[in-house]
Amino acid sequence: DEIGLIPCPEARYNRSPIVLVENKLGVESWCVKFLLPYVHNKLLLYRQRKQWLNKDELIDITCTLLLLNPDFTTAWNVRKELILSGTLNPLKDLHLGKLALTKFPKSPETWIHRRWVLQQLIQENSLPSLATKGNLGAAPVERIHRLVQEEMNVCSEAAGRYPSNYNAWSHRIWVLQHLAKLTVKVLLDELSSTKYWVSMHVSDHSGFHYRQFLLNSLIRRTVTDNNILVQNQMVNEQNPSLQKGEESAGTEAACAEEQSVDLPHRLDEEMELCTELIDNYPGHETLWCHSDETLNNSHHGPATSHMAQAMDVDGLNESSSKQGYTQETKRLKRAPVQDSLGPEMEYRFVDKVLSTCRDVDQARFATAYRKWLVTFLGQ
Amino acid sequence: MHVGGEVDVRSAYCAASVASLTNILTPALFAGTAEWIARCQNWEGGIGGVPGMEAHGGYTFCGVAALVILKQEHLLNLRSLLHWVTGRQMRFEGGFQGRCNKLVDGCYSFWQAGLLPLLHRALHARGDPALSMANWMFDQLALQEYILLCCQCPAGGLLDKPGKSRDFYHTCYCLSGLAIAQHFGSGDLHNEVVLGIPENCLQATHPVYNIAPEKVARAVMHFLQYPVPSLDPA
Repeated sequence: DEIGLIPCPEARYNRSPIVLVENKLGVESWCVKFLLPYVHNKLLLYRQRKQWLNKDELIDITCTLLLLNPDFTTAWNVRKELILSGTLNPLKDLHLGKLALTKFPKSPETWIHRRWVLQQLIQENSLPSLATKGNLGAAPVERIHRLVQEEMNVCSEAAGRYPSNYNAWSHRIWVLQHLAKLTVKVLLDELSSTKYWVSMHVSDHSGFHYRQFLLNSLIRRTVTDNNILVQNQMVNEQNPSLQKGEESAGTEAACAEEQSVDLPHRLDEEMELCTELIDNYPGHETLWCHSDETLNNSHHGPATSHMAQAMDVDGLNESSSKQGYTQETKRLKRAPVQDSLGPEMEYRFVDKVLSTCRDVDQARFATAYRKWLVTFLGQ
Repeated sequence: MHVGGEVDVRSAYCAASVASLTNILTPALFAGTAEWIARCQNWEGGIGGVPGMEAHGGYTFCGVAALVILKQEHLLNLRSLLHWVTGRQMRFEGGFQGRCNKLVDGCYSFWQAGLLPLLHRALHARGDPALSMANWMFDQLALQEYILLCCQCPAGGLLDKPGKSRDFYHTCYCLSGLAIAQHFGSGDLHNEVVLGIPENCLQATHPVYNIAPEKVARAVMHFLQYPVPSLDPA
């Protein structure tokens, strides 16, 4: 489940440089300068059609190459061809990539190839007759869910191996967008499962940015679902005799479920998390940035430009049937708890930090935050 | 970036750069591109690789430069972009970081500092009265100090930060950043700010294409002689 290079400049004993201990694969460093050029050359000769290699040899050679240097695009492309011809199981490449990432957590080519493989797998999913490769054998939805979970794990591990791992976190976002389709459930799950991680990595800007992405997606999701709910309500009012189609009823049920996403509460929780971390770990710019943006979202509501004000969804029935539906008259219900999270609390917090902190950077961030509160919130 | 490869804002810049220099730029070729790039700007003010991603110096430069070429900079929130990029210059080192809470790196001397000439031009076009007529909106001397004092390899070439080894990429972008920091404006408004001896002064570089301004002019003139190729096969 992990690979690594064992610093060992000379071959002391006449034995294999491959070391396998507790499921971790090590390669003694002396052999790399012989092994890498050898396999590299072999692959290039094959590509130049000067030397034939059969499918098994290709699989072995590319595997070795990629564990030594996963940014070798040609090797990944050979494997793409093998996958497309049906000779190689795409899941093997997910495993190979995962191994490569334990030693090379940023490797751009590994992440890119991974997305290609995942795209192949979801296409396969939509054609059930081809799913006989029997990879996971479960129903498509279950299968996708497991894939997503695995990707979350791989990203998390890679993020832990390299600070602010842009490639790992952007892959994580990509998976949520393209495999998990940004459902409310997955967004909430991810918020809770990354909470501990970001608390342990307070300078990891990418980690906190991921949380902003989750919160923003939740906001956009709530807006869209409210739109659908409102539209359906209006349709029903105007045409009481109309039978609710299965689809609209289904959407409404989903919306009703998802209405239980208490956005203000989530944003409150996020502010609490920021405050706690800022107190415990003085001097991390990331935390202050995250705090800024979360407060911005709480105060102004969804950050989308067409959302102007907030209004009771319940009160919509009366006005909508008379006025007709426009984006500008739409509002989100705000929970009473929202009032307790105000700029006042933030001022108190900042002033407390300024009077008690000893860290120079912390003081600077707090002062800047205070200026921002005054300028942007106008209070 | 290549067939079957990843899609991100860099390719938009590469395409816009090449197309504009060789006079093959047509509205059809870039339909929707400017709007897509604008979607890559996020809450931080900077631009990420694809919509939804963290703001990053390299991608931000590519996005803004591409929009300048396509004459659509106004699609961005220039104020938050300015706020983000100026926050990336490190107060101790003088150089720039690529993203919030990360370390300084010599190559961002160009990717980040290079945004300021572009922003200056865009804000000037809007008639912003507060713009300086002598300096870019970053500490030009501090950046030059970082590059000259910390980013030079004794054996020649430039690098990321002390302790790293030299490479062509860092040599290129440290020098490009140095040129940006030394030269404000052009023509009548040209103002040189050179740290150290006058011999430290480099030739100016074009803030969009990062090649000599004369070369940009010559390329454009040359290719204007040829008609824009059509997409229909001959």
